[in-house]
Amino acid sequence: MALHHVRDVIRPLTLEEAWQRKLEHGPAARFLGGGIDVVLYAPPTVSTLIDLEGLDLSGVREDASWISIGAMTTMTEAIESATLGRYASGFLVRVLKAVASPLQRNLATFGGTLGSAHPWSDVIPALLVLEAELAIYDGSERTVALGTYLDERKAGESPVIRAIRLPKGSESARGAFASFTRTGFDVPLLNVTCLAVVGEGAWKDVRIAIGGTPGLAKRRRDVEEELVGRPIRVEGIAAAARSAADAIDARDDVRASAGYRRRLARALVERCLLEIVEGGAE
Amino acid sequence: MSERMDRGFDVVGKSERKVDGLGLVTGRPRFVDDIRLPETLSVKILGSPHAHARIVSIDVSEAESLPGVVCVLTHENTPPTRHTTAGQGYPEPSPYDARMFDSKVRFVGDRVAAVAAEAERVATEALKRIRVEYEELPAVLSIDEARREGAPIVHDEADATGIYDSARNIVADVDIDVGDVARGFEESDVVVETTCETQYAQHTPIEPHVVLSYLDPDDRIVLRTSTQVPFHVRRIVAYTLGIPMHRIRVIKPRIGGGFGTKQEVLLEDIAALVTLRTRRPALLRLTRAEEFIAARTRHPMRVRVKLGARKDGHLHAIEMEALSNTGAYGAHGLTVLANTGSKTLPLYNKAPNAHFFGQAVYTNLPVPGAYRGYGATQGYFPLETAMDELAERLSIDPIELRARNHIRAGETSPVFEKLGEGREGVSQTVKSCELARCIEVGADRIGWSQKRGLRPKDGPWVRGVGMSVMMQGSGIPEIDMAAATIKMNEDGSFNLLIGATDLGTGSDTILAQIAAEVLGVPLGNVIVTSSDTDVTPFDVGAYASSTTYVSGTAVVRAAEKVRDQIFDVAAPLLESPVEALSLSGGAVIAGNGRRVGLDRVCQRAMYESDQFQIAATASFVPSESPPPFLANFAEVAVDTGTGQVKVLHYVAVADCGVAIHPKLAEGQLEGSIVNGIGYALTEEMLLSSRGRVRNPSFFDYKIPGALDLPELEVVLVDSYEPTGPMGAKSIGEIGINGPIPTIANAIHDAVGVRMRQTPFTSERILAAIEGR
Amino acid sequence: MTITLTINGTTRELSAGAGETLLEVLRREGFTGVKTGCGTGDCGACAVLMNGRAVNSCLVLAAKADGGEIVTVEGLADGDRLHPLQEAFLDEGAVQCGYCTPGMLISAADLLSRKPSPTEEEIKEALSGNLCRCTGYTKQIRAVERAAERMRGGDDE
Repeated sequence: MALHHVRDVIRPLTLEEAWQRKLEHGPAARFLGGGIDVVLYAPPTVSTLIDLEGLDLSGVREDASWISIGAMTTMTEAIESATLGRYASGFLVRVLKAVASPLQRNLATFGGTLGSAHPWSDVIPALLVLEAELAIYDGSERTVALGTYLDERKAGESPVIRAIRLPKGSESARGAFASFTRTGFDVPLLNVTCLAVVGEGAWKDVRIAIGGTPGLAKRRRDVEEELVGRPIRVEGIAAAARSAADAIDARDDVRASAGYRRRLARALVERCLLEIVEGGAE
Repeated sequence: MSERMDRGFDVVGKSERKVDGLGLVTGRPRFVDDIRLPETLSVKILGSPHAHARIVSIDVSEAESLPGVVCVLTHENTPPTRHTTAGQGYPEPSPYDARMFDSKVRFVGDRVAAVAAEAERVATEALKRIRVEYEELPAVLSIDEARREGAPIVHDEADATGIYDSARNIVADVDIDVGDVARGFEESDVVVETTCETQYAQHTPIEPHVVLSYLDPDDRIVLRTSTQVPFHVRRIVAYTLGIPMHRIRVIKPRIGGGFGTKQEVLLEDIAALVTLRTRRPALLRLTRAEEFIAARTRHPMRVRVKLGARKDGHLHAIEMEALSNTGAYGAHGLTVLANTGSKTLPLYNKAPNAHFFGQAVYTNLPVPGAYRGYGATQGYFPLETAMDELAERLSIDPIELRARNHIRAGETSPVFEKLGEGREGVSQTVKSCELARCIEVGADRIGWSQKRGLRPKDGPWVRGVGMSVMMQGSGIPEIDMAAATIKMNEDGSFNLLIGATDLGTGSDTILAQIAAEVLGVPLGNVIVTSSDTDVTPFDVGAYASSTTYVSGTAVVRAAEKVRDQIFDVAAPLLESPVEALSLSGGAVIAGNGRRVGLDRVCQRAMYESDQFQIAATASFVPSESPPPFLANFAEVAVDTGTGQVKVLHYVAVADCGVAIHPKLAEGQLEGSIVNGIGYALTEEMLLSSRGRVRNPSFFDYKIPGALDLPELEVVLVDSYEPTGPMGAKSIGEIGINGPIPTIANAIHDAVGVRMRQTPFTSERILAAIEGR
Repeated sequence: MTITLTINGTTRELSAGAGETLLEVLRREGFTGVKTGCGTGDCGACAVLMNGRAVNSCLVLAAKADGGEIVTVEGLADGDRLHPLQEAFLDEGAVQCGYCTPGMLISAADLLSRKPSPTEEEIKEALSGNLCRCTGYTKQIRAVERAAERMRGGDDE
């Protein structure tokens, strides 16, 4: 319900102004994407909200090398984007369609999702396997790999995210994901997200992220290395799934036990990899 | 969908638009807090952080001095009267173990204090400024802990009454038997035994509990409240506050669901007292988190069933032992326990030996209360699982085993008389039972014989089918009373005044249909006023599946009395004897072919000659509780790699007698079954080692959504209950009992494991599959 | 602060706290059709159309809604003429307690404005953020199908 501690909502006219106001107020200020996470989780120390609406940060654009999703783009807008529908066979769109509910997808923005980086996020692992970069602004414009951004972020202290950039060249990649939930409208007990390029009976490139452990998704380069360059074999897939499960940092929480999460990781990694392989059989 | 005979009704049996539907689809202000009164205070409750503690001291001075705070209530300034919060008929069969505010707290979230302030945020802030010194006490956090020798005593107060043995935390003890089960088991060819456990689950009505209290211009307290039991609220609030009952008026407007959690006086006493002390309106509503923590829940139970049968499948002995966790207060503890046996054992009435026994015990945990199914839900899990196991042992088809044993029309069960609502029951003979037809239809629709035992595989998924049967009741015989008043208007319309409580079930509509049927008018000519203790006659309220059967019969009787008065006025007009008159199409029709409109009749009675108000009140106390019956069939798919189960297809076939409003009756079944599926698969209140609810939100307490719906078919078979209004029985509760045993039996068919603990989460199923 | 909202076609200036949600503002303004079921975006009872999209009004800061167009359930009917969804909900028996109904109608209205011929799966998806405890969803899904038929000009069965 109402955030009684919030005194001001500022609508800056430029990105520079937005950043300046953030510097002025420090941790007492939060950037506002769709606002969901601010309404639900902003602590009482937050008194100023800086709305990033109106800064032309919405929309999906495409150039020769990149697809750029403006940080204020909602999940629904991304789902409806023809550009994203073509990208990596619509992989990101498929992931987005399963997130939360349509009511929330109409509000939730990419920037907000990254800013809050909830450990149950299904969007973040998809962006990790797509090797997304973030165009950010923290006084100057720069780009940073998504993984780096996640490792370095502190709650409430993020730079302004301008856009999420997806490298083209993943066109021939095939993706599969499994977000294991209790009911249809739920956050995952575990999620597994895979993107791979296969050719000549071998794994040319494999990217695997496992999340909801209950920690935030991470790339499993150890498992990827087991597969890349190797011929595609059922035993190899099974072995990779076992490695994935053995080494995840799984914990008990209100949704599942660590042991069960390990079991799920193994089953779901195996299934995602098989799905990618079988998908080529058309 | 329904297979029904056309019984020649004009209004009954038709699915017309609900009488209150228009306001609901247009968002009109019909719910408790949809009306605004000036000067309304917001009330918030401070809940205990401890599962069990004494309040050593409580200092509210800082809270009181916060600007905007008008009133603070604690045990030091409120009436100490012990009462029950259970909305049951007087004398309530629940212990008087609750105080408005006590000097001891008994579960995390128990009432400590209440603040009334000018704004909700001020009240919330003031709660933080109440200084409480607690002496923490050792807590009992499970049934077993509560029963242990030397366990901490949850209710050690001297002035509580109605507790079976408070020193041992036993709220209720029930033990009845028929014949001699010990010998019965010895005489049996096969004996199976199973113990099942059900969890803390919650009703989660989409509207949390809420009450608005205010003084009317004559200084009477008006409680506009989201309740299933307006008359019990009036009585219990009067008793608790020590004020005359006639100074209180309780009005139930539209409410957003109840399912039993609103068969309780949860908030009204506090709101009423705030209004009495401040003379201002008071709005008290629970947040969703508070609803999870401090409203009411299902009684978690451990229930053991032992069945002894002859080789030919006839049951020879049935034993059911139930241990019920009734939480920190004993509301509904005895009656839910008793219902666990009284609504299950009579189904298999021909077993000459039966024994039901059990106890309800206190724990320092959230408080269970009334919840749709009311013990039967917990009882059918082991009973129908044991029947499935018995069928396997005897190599008899589970359907055939039920067919050989279930009660039939014309039969009785000795359990009816031995076990009722906490005391003895009432003997009865079942007069309508279409369970055999229900089973036949359901088996056909699920494809039972084509699917049972095949275990078809599709990757990691294996399929199976399961079934179960059940009965419930229709009202509480010799205890429930309902009344209805009908008065006539000079345009030929009628006002129907009923105490009966529509919680979304559509009782306003179906009771109006019944009246319209008797009076020969269209539904729109019956104007309903319900659930206002000043205006409508008494009704126990919406529970025990009583409204159609009990309130409906009161309406029939009132309508018949009014009809007779109409005939007395019309007879001379039509120059016809009263016996040759009938009502149809808004007119009185005589055997001689003459007719007179009802408007004309009423005008004559109101204005012209021997004037009197055509009106009547009638009451009904049932002498029996004719059971509805339900056959459930489910096809499930189990993922053997993750343990996930999907309910693919669920068929529920019911005998509810005549369905007064088929779509509303189907809706009751559909809603209760989907609720039951959640209860079977995903719903669980998780408690910390200190008794705190860890998941008090929909985020982590998962109820079914639209995406979780199986292919759901509900069928109402043709049936007629001769003692029921227009042939009706009831349908409100029975559906929720189906999913747990049906899905458990289907899982066994698929993967050969018996699930004995709800919910059947994927984690639990995987562990069962792997023998862990 | 003062915000401007066009609610069901009428533009108003309203005062709102900086941290208030759209749900709180709407209810205070008398739009009783917008319900509070959880306050945390989990139940959908508070759904409204904001700039043509169904959203949880409990998750929308009033400041974010400023300048926008809001449609509540009170705005679905055209005077006396109910929206086909409202008609269908009444005819199909899809309304029990009615508390989730406004939110359901809003989600369904959003769906039908974009997909005039939704499949059953698409309807379930559109309603997936609206929890109901009374009905088991079956008749609500049927009602959306019937409304879609009517809106396409199809015959009633």
